[in-house]
Amino acid sequence: MFRLPYPVRPETSPERGWLVAAVLGWLLAFGASPAAALDPPTGKVLLTVTGKVASGNGPDGTAAFDMALLERLPRHSFTTKTPWYAKPRKFTGVLLRDLLGAVGTSPARLNATALNDYRVEIPLDDVARGNAMLAYLLDEQPMSVRDKGPLVIIYPFDDKPELRNAVHYSRAIWQLRALDIQ
Amino acid sequence: MTDPVEPTAERPPGPLWLLIASTALALVLLAVAYVQWRQYQLLDNATHYQNDALGWSFSQLETEQLRLRNQVQASLQGPSPPDRDALQLRYDIFISRIGLIDHERAARIMADQRSYAPAIAMVRAFVADADRLFGEKPTEQLTPQALQHVLAGLDALTVPLHDLSLGASHLLYERATQRNSAVRQQSVLSLALTLSQCVLLLVLTVIVLTQLRTLNERRKNLEALADNLHAARVEADAANRAKSVFLANMSHEIRTPFHGLLGMMSLLQDTGLNAQQQGFLLTAKESANHLLAILNDILDISQLESGKLQVQPETMELPLLVAQVEALMRVQAQSKGLALNVQLEPDVPRWVNADATRLKQILFNLLSNAVKFSQAGSVGLRVASGFGGRVIFTVSDTGVGMDAKTLERLFQRFMRADDSPSRRQGGTGLGLEISRDLARLMGGDITVQSEIGRGSTFTVALPLPAAAPPTPAQLAPETVATARAPGPLQVLVAEDHPVNRAYLEAVLDKLGHHAVFKEDGDGAVRAMQQQEFDIVLMDLHMPGMDGFAAARAIRSMPAPRGRVPIIALTADAFQASRDLARQAGMDGFLTKPAHLPQLREALERHSGLGKALHPTADAAPSQEPQAVDEIFDPATIDDARQILSPIVYAQLLARFFSDQPEALTTLRGAARNANHAVLRAQAHSLKGAALNLGLRAVADAAQLLQSATAAGEANGHIDTLEHALARSRAHCIRDGLLPG
Repeated sequence: MFRLPYPVRPETSPERGWLVAAVLGWLLAFGASPAAALDPPTGKVLLTVTGKVASGNGPDGTAAFDMALLERLPRHSFTTKTPWYAKPRKFTGVLLRDLLGAVGTSPARLNATALNDYRVEIPLDDVARGNAMLAYLLDEQPMSVRDKGPLVIIYPFDDKPELRNAVHYSRAIWQLRALDIQ
Repeated sequence: MTDPVEPTAERPPGPLWLLIASTALALVLLAVAYVQWRQYQLLDNATHYQNDALGWSFSQLETEQLRLRNQVQASLQGPSPPDRDALQLRYDIFISRIGLIDHERAARIMADQRSYAPAIAMVRAFVADADRLFGEKPTEQLTPQALQHVLAGLDALTVPLHDLSLGASHLLYERATQRNSAVRQQSVLSLALTLSQCVLLLVLTVIVLTQLRTLNERRKNLEALADNLHAARVEADAANRAKSVFLANMSHEIRTPFHGLLGMMSLLQDTGLNAQQQGFLLTAKESANHLLAILNDILDISQLESGKLQVQPETMELPLLVAQVEALMRVQAQSKGLALNVQLEPDVPRWVNADATRLKQILFNLLSNAVKFSQAGSVGLRVASGFGGRVIFTVSDTGVGMDAKTLERLFQRFMRADDSPSRRQGGTGLGLEISRDLARLMGGDITVQSEIGRGSTFTVALPLPAAAPPTPAQLAPETVATARAPGPLQVLVAEDHPVNRAYLEAVLDKLGHHAVFKEDGDGAVRAMQQQEFDIVLMDLHMPGMDGFAAARAIRSMPAPRGRVPIIALTADAFQASRDLARQAGMDGFLTKPAHLPQLREALERHSGLGKALHPTADAAPSQEPQAVDEIFDPATIDDARQILSPIVYAQLLARFFSDQPEALTTLRGAARNANHAVLRAQAHSLKGAALNLGLRAVADAAQLLQSATAAGEANGHIDTLEHALARSRAHCIRDGLLPG
């Protein structure tokens, strides 16, 4: 179970700054541990992280991930129903907060872009508390573009009823291509 | 139980209605909860999103089809070879969008759209065709001709896909409308349910309020009923008390003439009756004595009931009391052949604070009963110490005993142990109740244990606190009292003052003598001529023939009547009076107040019955009590109250005071007419009565009047006397000697 080192107020708290500070503190303390530079990708680049990247591996300060780099990050999985599949499916991948930790950044805002240029903003609260995940396996299998892959952002909809709404379904972006950190 | 206040026609809604209303309310609440749950379900469902998103999926498919077409067209127009990766990505994205609309659910939703199935079929055909170029295992080269073919296929899809997109949009609008109306319906239902909830709540409130009001009314009625009952009870108690007072007065009133009756019968006995007449008289006397006992019991019980009777604890010697009780009871027991065992435990305190008269009454009653109901065996009295300063008197007998049923009713009024023995025994049936009431008045109680044929045991437990022994001076008269009471004497009393007559009557009655009263010397002399007396008590100052003359007249009679002992009674203690009395032939001299021990001793000595215990007491002038209290003579009052009982003393006091207005009128008349003889006689008589009653202030004023008449100051002294009377009366009421 993931725990924050500082008390985190509920979402309704007027002092939302606390929450942000906690997330940032956590990201700096653990995620970016030695802030070691990312290894350069060896395979096909699946995800490009742009914007405020502290330890990228690209030429212009960006970070590029292939499957091998993603698989090196802590691996999580959960099974949930989604509007797009008839039955519950098992998703495996890396939590967004781990990914952000890997690029050693302190985000203010997070924008996700799909292959077809679909764009959506993912709030930091989803990252810190919503357990938003960047999935690269569906039922233990890599996803093709035809299958809405290769990367999707998914939420544990079954565990958290408050996520079962159009806003969060729209944030579960398929065919993720790039993350822009501001 | 019937409640007269509540009419049955206006019964409030019962518990059944309450139950029905509550159940209905609960059902409505359940329905509301169900509707709300349904609404929640309606919103919290991924399927809705899927359905809503279907329109988006169709338009996305259309978009991707166009973007793929543009890419293909750009590849045909641009430099060769074409950008295969870009084409492949566009194609794959297009394919991924097909999956969103080509499935069972979408087919079900779009079932009404005639264009759906052909369009899907066309899309599938195109994919099958294009997969030869862009599939996982391409079979054809990416030639401009092949791309032209793909472009043609894409163009053919444009219209059907657009139609599908439009159709899906319309369908979804319809569905949204349907859902809205469903929500509206549910809202209406919810509203209706809420309304019925309110109505039911109102109904419930009305029912509860009605019941509360009914309960309130019932409570008020009950309170009113209780108040009425209380008032009725108070009234009944008051009436009962009034009856008791009346009974007390009546029995006292009856007792006074009754003593006369008894006296007359005693006189009658000595008038030469034949055997039959003697028998009649004996029966009459027995009946009269019985009647007197009943009257005394009724007087006690009525006084107990009206709360007039009070115990007067004084320092007394318990072994002495036990000895007195034993002495009297032994005679009764022996006459029935019963043994009387009296046992006084050594741990019992000798001196205690108790009302001796009442304690004796209790013990006499219990012991008399024990003797009465025992035919053989023994009667026992045991006195022992109990817990907390209590003294336990146990009276046991070997008599008939009682069963449990009898024991239950034993202390009830007019209850007698058993029909057969008690009818033979007689009695008022009040004795036990009086005894128990007295015991309770003293802070104790009486309990009983009995068994048929095994005798009974009555236990009296009284809190009698130990007291310090009194001074020897107070002790002396009591030792005289221990002497055996002499047998009944026929006593002739000549006394002009009615209060003094009543006092002497009570004292002589107490001593067990029969007395005949005369109001003057003449009457006394005539009584002497008619019958024999054992002794004469002669007041010296009487209207008409005075005591000296009467004594001389009696002495002139032949023996034995002329030799009858005569004791002078007077309120003054002058040696001159004493000498005159001796010269007139009188044998003894008693000063008023005539205390019981002195009277008893004088009677014993002069009648020759008893032995003179104090031969010197006669000649000695009676010692005047210490002047401690200017209004009262406490020693005399205490004596009188103990001898006569406080009630009789109070009655004598009342009578004395009620006589005085008349006496004062006589005195003033005599003063006006300068009739010194009448003045002196009246003052002397008044003084004697006052001395007997312990009214020192009145006696002193009367003495002043008696001696001052010669100086002609009578009127002032009469005023003083009147003042002393009023003051004394007020003090008597204040001190509780006289009821207010």
